Amino acid sequence: MNGDSRPRGSFCGRTRREFVWQTGLGFTSLGLVDLLSRDGFFSKRAGADGGAPAGYVNPMAPRPPHFEPKAKAVIFLFMYGGPSHVDTFDYKPELFKHDGRTIAVKTKGRGGTKNEGRIVGPKWDFRRHGQSGQWVSDLFPNLATCVDDIAFIKSMTADSPLHGSAMLQMNSGKILSGSPCLGSWVTYGLGSENEDLPGFVVSLDPVGGPISGAKNWSSGYMPSTYQGTILRSQGEPIIDLSRPEGVSDATQRRLIDTLNAYNADHLAARADQSDLAARISSFELAYKMQMAAPEATDVDSEPEETKRLYGLDDPRTDNFGRRCLLARRLVERGVRFVQIYAGGAHNDDNWDAHTDIEANHNFHCGRTDRPIAGLLKDLKRKGLLDETLVVWGGEFGRQPTAEYEKGTGRDHNAYGFTMWMAGGGVKGGTSVGETDELGSAAVSDRFHVKHLHATILNQLGLDPEHLTFFYGGLDQKLVGVEGAEPIRQII
Amino acid sequence: MSSIGLMVSFGILASMPIRAQEQSSPEPPPAEQVAFFEQSVRPLLVQHCFDCHGGGEKIRGGLDLTTRAGALKGGDFGPAIDEEIPELSLLLEAVSYEGLVEMPPSGKLDPGAIEVLTRWVEMGAPYVGETGEMPGPGGEAEGEGPRITEADRQHWAFRPVERPTVPEVGDPGWVLDPIDAFILDRLVDAGLRPAPEASRATLIRRLSYDLTGLPPTPEEVDAFLADESPDAYEALVDRLLDSPHYGERWGRHWLDLVRFAETNSFERDRDKPSAWRYRDYVIESFNEDKPYDQFVREQLAGDELDEPTAESIIATGFYRLGAWDDEPTDPLQARFDELDDIVSTTSQAFLGLTINCARCHDHKIDPIPQRDYYRFLAFVSNLEPYSYESDHILTEIATDEERAEHDRAVADRERREREIGGVLAPIEAKLLESVPEPRRSRLRSGTFEERRHVLDGIADRELSAGELAEYRSLVGRWRAIPPVPPPPTALSAREPGPEAPQSYVQIRGSAHARGEPVEPGFPEVLGAADPPLPGPSAGASTSGRRRVLADWIASPENPLTARVMVNRVWHYHFGRGLVRTPSDFGVQGAEPTHPELLDWLASEFVADGWRLKPLHRRIVMSRAYRMSSKGDPEALALDPQNDLFWRFDLRRLSAEEIRDSMLAVTGALNPEMGGPGFYSKIPAAYLAGQSRPGDGWGDSSAEERARRSVYIHVKRSLVTPILSSFDAADTDFPCPVRFATTQPTQALSTLNGEFLNEQASDLADRVRRESGESTGSRVRRALRLVTQRTPTDGEVGRGVAFVERVAAEDGAGPDRAFELFCLMALNLNEFFYVD
Repeated sequence: MNGDSRPRGSFCGRTRREFVWQTGLGFTSLGLVDLLSRDGFFSKRAGADGGAPAGYVNPMAPRPPHFEPKAKAVIFLFMYGGPSHVDTFDYKPELFKHDGRTIAVKTKGRGGTKNEGRIVGPKWDFRRHGQSGQWVSDLFPNLATCVDDIAFIKSMTADSPLHGSAMLQMNSGKILSGSPCLGSWVTYGLGSENEDLPGFVVSLDPVGGPISGAKNWSSGYMPSTYQGTILRSQGEPIIDLSRPEGVSDATQRRLIDTLNAYNADHLAARADQSDLAARISSFELAYKMQMAAPEATDVDSEPEETKRLYGLDDPRTDNFGRRCLLARRLVERGVRFVQIYAGGAHNDDNWDAHTDIEANHNFHCGRTDRPIAGLLKDLKRKGLLDETLVVWGGEFGRQPTAEYEKGTGRDHNAYGFTMWMAGGGVKGGTSVGETDELGSAAVSDRFHVKHLHATILNQLGLDPEHLTFFYGGLDQKLVGVEGAEPIRQII
Repeated sequence: MSSIGLMVSFGILASMPIRAQEQSSPEPPPAEQVAFFEQSVRPLLVQHCFDCHGGGEKIRGGLDLTTRAGALKGGDFGPAIDEEIPELSLLLEAVSYEGLVEMPPSGKLDPGAIEVLTRWVEMGAPYVGETGEMPGPGGEAEGEGPRITEADRQHWAFRPVERPTVPEVGDPGWVLDPIDAFILDRLVDAGLRPAPEASRATLIRRLSYDLTGLPPTPEEVDAFLADESPDAYEALVDRLLDSPHYGERWGRHWLDLVRFAETNSFERDRDKPSAWRYRDYVIESFNEDKPYDQFVREQLAGDELDEPTAESIIATGFYRLGAWDDEPTDPLQARFDELDDIVSTTSQAFLGLTINCARCHDHKIDPIPQRDYYRFLAFVSNLEPYSYESDHILTEIATDEERAEHDRAVADRERREREIGGVLAPIEAKLLESVPEPRRSRLRSGTFEERRHVLDGIADRELSAGELAEYRSLVGRWRAIPPVPPPPTALSAREPGPEAPQSYVQIRGSAHARGEPVEPGFPEVLGAADPPLPGPSAGASTSGRRRVLADWIASPENPLTARVMVNRVWHYHFGRGLVRTPSDFGVQGAEPTHPELLDWLASEFVADGWRLKPLHRRIVMSRAYRMSSKGDPEALALDPQNDLFWRFDLRRLSAEEIRDSMLAVTGALNPEMGGPGFYSKIPAAYLAGQSRPGDGWGDSSAEERARRSVYIHVKRSLVTPILSSFDAADTDFPCPVRFATTQPTQALSTLNGEFLNEQASDLADRVRRESGESTGSRVRRALRLVTQRTPTDGEVGRGVAFVERVAAEDGAGPDRAFELFCLMALNLNEFFYVD
């Protein structure tokens, strides 16, 4: 171990000084620190050190990407519970043929590792759709009309076939608890275009949150600035957004003005303390957010035709449709990362079809098919699809075999499953990767969750190898220390 | 995977490059082999391997396949090609997806390609047209690990602490404590003047928050301002250090470092049994000024001390605080993830070392070879894994009296049960006659409640009215016997016995890839000799290894322990450490701004018997601590980051201070200490984010909810919103430095949130009770409580105008208007920041 192999005082292009900024100053002027942490910034700005502390920079202010981005925003449609790939997009004729037959196949799920199982043939027919001729089952008749805009990844793998760790991995890259989520990384890297709205927004299914709750939108070891904000489709859209009962806008304005007057006196004797100015600004931003958020979330103001497109005219699709439409309104207004959960709570309240795949998937596809198709079409006709990356999938897929002696339920499958992307520079009408003839495991062009994450970052103009946050002695990355390449075949 | 591929002998590894050198140069392979390589093998390597193993920067896992020598040398998992037994080559195992490594990762090659590679390896892996660089002759010397150089050992933090002399300064009058001489010396050198002393009102507020995390009351401020005795400040310091609130404030700092939480995270996020005892142990340890070396020993080896006590057993709860997945997908790897969490936390908290960075490979920056990580891990590898099994993680801590009392209660209960049972037995026997075998026998030997389950149902039918009445009365009496609570237990370290498992280096951090065996040892760069380990003694319940580790950490000779701790103390007093990276004293960490002061403090700390209160006292009594936070244009230009401490740094209150201060100024704060945590009120909108809203969160009374924040039950997946919003410590990883973010969502919660509005209403109630009827006197009192100073007439006038306008023009009425004034007051920057 000599000086050549282990540079002193410099780590991955970061100077000690810069590092000290991050860890020693407690992120007092977060926006500034944030800027400083960007590669190369410090060398360019070293001269600025001699000046007085910089003024307030909103930590969510937009920041330039590493390179020209294809997408500005992400809508992640999270099919919590694990949708079955072999019943939806990954057509496996062998499964139809062998329905009911017990054969040797290695699986690992909630029920442990098994070496054989009873094949459950899909209960829906598959057809080719669009000019690209991609296979979609009858579970998604509306989405099937959009396949020419979609790139399927049919060879996804994840490290865990159990919800707890698999959810964490899909959201944070790690199967262990405590790391920042994808939305945190994206807003840490890019900020958000609209400072009157949160930059990383999460919309939950009305039946409940996913297991592990807030861990799924936590900023982990990063500052809380980057944690997801829950946006509700009914009632007060953001927690604590509404003024207390009986407080009018005029009264609140008076309150903030009075507060500003006291704070200005306090600041006068401490003019060099940028934190104080920052907190004064934060009240103005909050005040603006109170105006902006209700407007942004006013789905009912949309034309009837649009509402129909998203399925707001059908009680079955109304809720998910509303939240998809909300997502479009948010990205239209510059929100960076929107995550929408389809399914919540436990068991059949989400895609976790352990007992009856038919009932479960008819239900969950039924409530999401029209809204998702509506979202893609609406984004496209508004010219937003090019700059909005839509991601669809769950934390894993499902097994080709039955979980129990009787019935059609399928256990979890992290060896192989399907996710898809659309828009944001993704090649529509394509498909990459394959599972084996039963759909039990990815066999060609296998991709891991980290490749999916790398692809998302890449489309946003962020280099997954260089989007780092220093913590615990390491330059942490969403894609892990080893790094990961984006999925080139679909971009 | 066969063990041959993985049990890499490092001796072989070290010699491999030399052999490779010898064999890579001689005569070229025969023409047909060249053709086979060029036409069949190379295209496969180019297409499937070179993206990651293509030489230059692209050598993932240390493997370079662009030369034959590179393939023979191999990567982290050992040689890719085994010349002696080609069919056992790792390369073939990897491409056939038969072992730990599956290559290429994007998918298994088709059988034809695998066949080509197999033939190639079997014919001796002939290679032509090598593109990469030849590996150097044995230069890696992997068998020895990286060499630790003298320069490495000379890194400031690894050198022994030497007590420096206190500098002579030109203005001895400024020096109240030797600390000041060190500070002033540097300031004078830099041409800076120290800021003047802060006002007394500022000082009492600074001290109160710093030492107790709470604001002073207006009465305390008045008394301090009126106290003209020369030792008024000193008396204040002593009073605050003696306050039990001191332990709550400083104990919380420690809880940050050990990522204290009371649940396991992951899907179920269940409670850790009696984790609160560890929290109370920490608070009490600070309050009683326990020597830090003892504090270290108790947490690391409280069960292995010469005389373990209930307290020292509770201290070992340290090992049980981490997140734990109760259904890991890879149990063996998860076991080592758990130990990694312990190694990371231990090395960062006590030693300021990021040993964790050497789990998968040698530390990239610090002179910590991978072996050191596994040698460190070997000290704790005998710990029982975390488990729902109580005997893995819980230890009974009853005192002799408690134990005797418990045994008495059990005996008493048994006696009463026997008495009743004696009368009940004949009736039960009669009832049992109508129960068929084998159920009858099962019930006869079953529990009381099992028999009730069946017999209650048939008693009506089988018994006479008199018997039935007696039966019911006896059952009632039995059930009325109060249950005996179990004796108290503590979440604690447990080991299955004295024999620790053999530890191994794990290649690339994989628990499935064993490298060389290692014995417990300290990081080599620190120069401590390998410790003698206790031999297995008959009847011992643990290996005694943690005691060895604890003794080394808690030794005055350890160059890091005292330095790291005094720096933390300085960090919490001044808002930043003399070393700005309090948990990283390695090469990539910050260098101390005042190295002599750091060493001087470390020496004094050890000389004072590792006691913290004399250290606090010394620091807060110093002139440096008492400086004003006011800016100075000249100094700001010269030293904008205040590296030299020319002034005191203004700081925002921590999350806990913000919540606790609100309760303090409204008068609602409940000072009750200790015991199980309470459940704060969490709005339903937050609970809705759980998969089972409200799961694992209980109700607590209003009084309980007015307790200090350190007593809030810490649930990893459900952090109290006001705490998480104001940057409370992350619960999954050690937190050496709190963030202090400013963001609009904080303002939303302090303007509109339920907690703040309740506090505003409570403050308004208190002021109405305590001051006169006039709006002026109420505004004055509210501002006084919130800012702990006398407001100016202008400030009062501004408040009165607000109340009157809101009351009249906005039609809110005087009471509501005053409540809104209180809400405004609780949002003042002056309230949120300390000078």
